[in-house]
Amino acid sequence: MAAYDIVDHAYDVVVVGAGGAGLRATLGLAEAGLKTASISKVFPTRSHTVAAQGGISAALGNIQPEDNWRYHMYDTVKGSDWLGDQDAIQYMTREAIPAIIELEHYGMPFSRTPDGKIYQRPFGGMSLNYGEKQAHRTCAAADRTGHAMLHTLYQQALKAKAEFYIEYFAIDLLMAEDGSCHGVLAWDLNDGKLHRFRAQRTILATGGYGRAFFSCTSAHTCTGDGGGMAARAGIALQDMEFVQFHPTGIYGAGCLITEGSRGEGGYLTNAKNERFMERYAPHDKDLACRDVVARAMTVEINEGRGVGGEHDHIFLNLQHLGPQVLHERLPGITETARIFAGVDATKEPIPVLPTVHYNMGGIPTNMHGEVVTLKDGNPDAVVPGLMAVGEAACVSVHGANRLGSNSLLDLVVFGRAAALECAAKLKIGAPLKAIAKDSEDRALARFDRLRYAQKGTLGTAQIRVKMQKTMQAHAAVFRTQESMDKGRALLNDIIKSYDDVQVSDTSLVWNSDLAETMELENLLTNALFTLACAQNRTESRGAHARDDCPDRDDVHWMKHTLAWRDGETSVKIDYRPVHTYTLDEEAKYIEPQVREY
Amino acid sequence: MLLRSPLGQARGLGSAKEGVQHWWMQRITAVALLPLSLWFVFSVATHQLVPHDAIVAWLHNPLVAAVLVFYFAVLFYHSALGVQVVVEDYVGGQFKKLATLMLFKLAHGLVAVIAIIAVLKVAFGGM
Amino acid sequence: MAQLTLPRNSRIDKAAGKVHKAEAGAKNIRKFKIYRYDPDAGANPHVDTFEVDLDKCGPMVLDALIKIKSETDATVTFRRSCREGICGSCAMNIDGGNHLACLTHIKDIKGDVNIYPLPHMPVVKDLVPDLTHFYAQYASIEPWLKTTTPAPTRERLQTPEDRAKLDGLYECILCACCSTACPSYWWNGDRYLGPAILMAAYRWLVDSRDEATGERLDMLEDPFKLYRCHTILNCSRTCPKGLNPARAIAETKKMLVERRN
Repeated sequence: MAAYDIVDHAYDVVVVGAGGAGLRATLGLAEAGLKTASISKVFPTRSHTVAAQGGISAALGNIQPEDNWRYHMYDTVKGSDWLGDQDAIQYMTREAIPAIIELEHYGMPFSRTPDGKIYQRPFGGMSLNYGEKQAHRTCAAADRTGHAMLHTLYQQALKAKAEFYIEYFAIDLLMAEDGSCHGVLAWDLNDGKLHRFRAQRTILATGGYGRAFFSCTSAHTCTGDGGGMAARAGIALQDMEFVQFHPTGIYGAGCLITEGSRGEGGYLTNAKNERFMERYAPHDKDLACRDVVARAMTVEINEGRGVGGEHDHIFLNLQHLGPQVLHERLPGITETARIFAGVDATKEPIPVLPTVHYNMGGIPTNMHGEVVTLKDGNPDAVVPGLMAVGEAACVSVHGANRLGSNSLLDLVVFGRAAALECAAKLKIGAPLKAIAKDSEDRALARFDRLRYAQKGTLGTAQIRVKMQKTMQAHAAVFRTQESMDKGRALLNDIIKSYDDVQVSDTSLVWNSDLAETMELENLLTNALFTLACAQNRTESRGAHARDDCPDRDDVHWMKHTLAWRDGETSVKIDYRPVHTYTLDEEAKYIEPQVREY
Repeated sequence: MLLRSPLGQARGLGSAKEGVQHWWMQRITAVALLPLSLWFVFSVATHQLVPHDAIVAWLHNPLVAAVLVFYFAVLFYHSALGVQVVVEDYVGGQFKKLATLMLFKLAHGLVAVIAIIAVLKVAFGGM
Repeated sequence: MAQLTLPRNSRIDKAAGKVHKAEAGAKNIRKFKIYRYDPDAGANPHVDTFEVDLDKCGPMVLDALIKIKSETDATVTFRRSCREGICGSCAMNIDGGNHLACLTHIKDIKGDVNIYPLPHMPVVKDLVPDLTHFYAQYASIEPWLKTTTPAPTRERLQTPEDRAKLDGLYECILCACCSTACPSYWWNGDRYLGPAILMAAYRWLVDSRDEATGERLDMLEDPFKLYRCHTILNCSRTCPKGLNPARAIAETKKMLVERRN
């Protein structure tokens, strides 16, 4: 193995990832006076939060004064198909209101109502008075809310003099013998040096793994690095079977068209020019939950009512809204439709298809962001030193299906919670514990093996596209045991073929070939967990819809799947109970009901 | 190798808190030069074939002399401002730049004074 | 300072370029000529030619780059992330202009597709420029809301008209296409803030919630930070988001005049 000089750093907290959650955590930590390093493989404003469009939910009541965070809580629980932990959901929906006000005070350029308040638009699954009528709850900055939010958070982090390590690729977690986490090993792409970041707490804010699928709205950088690193460190991942398909990804390109487009009055049609959602969700129609709409679209296509020459997609109609509304409220997607679909949205419908969009599963945490696991019968045992926030984490507030505009909310609420937790528990400058030698050696050996994998015969991209096509076909909107078993066998072979991966570039400076190869390993891990957990769950719940087990089974399956890597292609599965209680008496536990929209 | 922090480099010596005067004067002089230059070109063109005496007589008109003095003042001021920008853009090295700037400014002043005195000499001189 | 020729070690070595042929049977071939620089090699940069079968390639320049990296030469290095024009990673010089590779249709380019890194920036590797100074300049204008009045319990109010003043400004993705297209930024980028950063500064000058307008104008009033803008307008012509930094700079200059007259 080549000798590597490693640059040493000692921090109170190290945050891996600088998207919405990572930046919000970093900002809070810097403000609390904790010595914090924020490591990111891309410049912060290039993180995928920037691509969020529609908005961020909070029961501000700017349009409907009767709105209440308890309604928001109910909608989120119902959206999660009762797999979400209600204490965490209560915390998130209640804290949503101050969190949005805080963003506004930070200078975020929200759109405004005529009386100068934050503009709020309708979004899927958001209702008033427990499902009675559509709520206007999603706070928006036109259709660039994620962009506005991420830039605002970065600006605030600059103001708080946060310390950034930009274009540093996290290789692996640095663990101690007792399974606690003490930092991370990272690689500076710009000068090629390796860096050892030791810290009292390590916060993973690495986002989702949409790129495990062939067609996704996610950025190329959404490769589940946090989940991959955690799994390699022996940490369990939770609810990995739940992958959200966004109803409106542009046909072909996969680029996102916000749900806000339907919030503003857009609707879907099939080949018969029928507004088919009226049949599937008579009450909420096009603004039913994403899993419901994605399934309805898939049924329409499977039954031959898709549009286009191949009858393989659906139309999203916005032309009736008029150029004025499109220009003011939806300028970004009008542009995206023009560039990627060649369609003038003011005149013609946009061709769309359900597209992989969000991972409800991730690294299990409590609502303070601490990573938890099942240990000696305790389902809430904390993994010392390790925290996770954002899409990388599974708190779980989204359960089996996330509501649109709850994601940006998750980022700021739990990013902030993680910072508060560190500020409360950590002593500034406390001495750091020793890292197990073999933990770092393993990470270095892996890095070195891949760096010098010139003798392999399979290019990174070759393996990646096989994995993506397998996942697309076998972990789709509708799943069956047979299809998933077949997919698993294929995936196992693909994982084995990774031993024969070829890296052509041996340099250390901006070796994106090597970086992509390490990302691929993380993707393969996430893909394996997704399929294994999906094979295991013999019911339909939220985004996990099985033709062979079409009903929800609360008796056997109202529990979180917990999965550990158990060998190259095997996964060990256990469970954590869903929290069937609330945080305090401000909200009551919402009993499971039949989920209709 | 530069070991100063990127922010330190970006901030540099800070803001000079000036520049608006330069920019504004350049605009004002540009606006003034439009009619003045047209007048000057037109006058020179019409007097081109006239005998020397006629031009001297023309300059004896105090209004003509006054406008011409004003024109040269504005012209050289405008030119000095413009040349300053070109030097700042294209001449490197602090010493070389300052020396060039000084040279050009002094030259502008000198040529302006010569031009104005020439006009005055003719205007106040005999036929 | 203006530098009209490339330094000796940055000149393109015309002899070193390799040609990668398309696979046999490809009918719709387009040549992509890509700037290559390997910091480890110690050699001058060169340009490699890749023949791409457009029948088996997505419509955008980024699709072609990814195809080249996936199938022909995995060492080709470039930044990319969102592939939909919102993250600003894949800014590069394509066919002589600065664009986002993900938003540039191959069919809109005539002849060979020439791809270089953003002009006049230090090159880290291939198409990856060093943007450290650009980011530091962004930080130097203190791009955050500044107020003295304590924040109200609820949101600060802002009329839709005042909010509309931020449109065309806040959408900037910091891709640096505009700044690196500006000759003034090429010559004096060490001191001139450049169009992207000046537009970011203007975004705060016109935010009705901000209370530091005067302080911000003080900071900008400088022969180099602001007044190197000579209204060349390359910035507005090249912006991949259709924004108009030149207008923002002109408005800033007007504000500076306004406050003294």
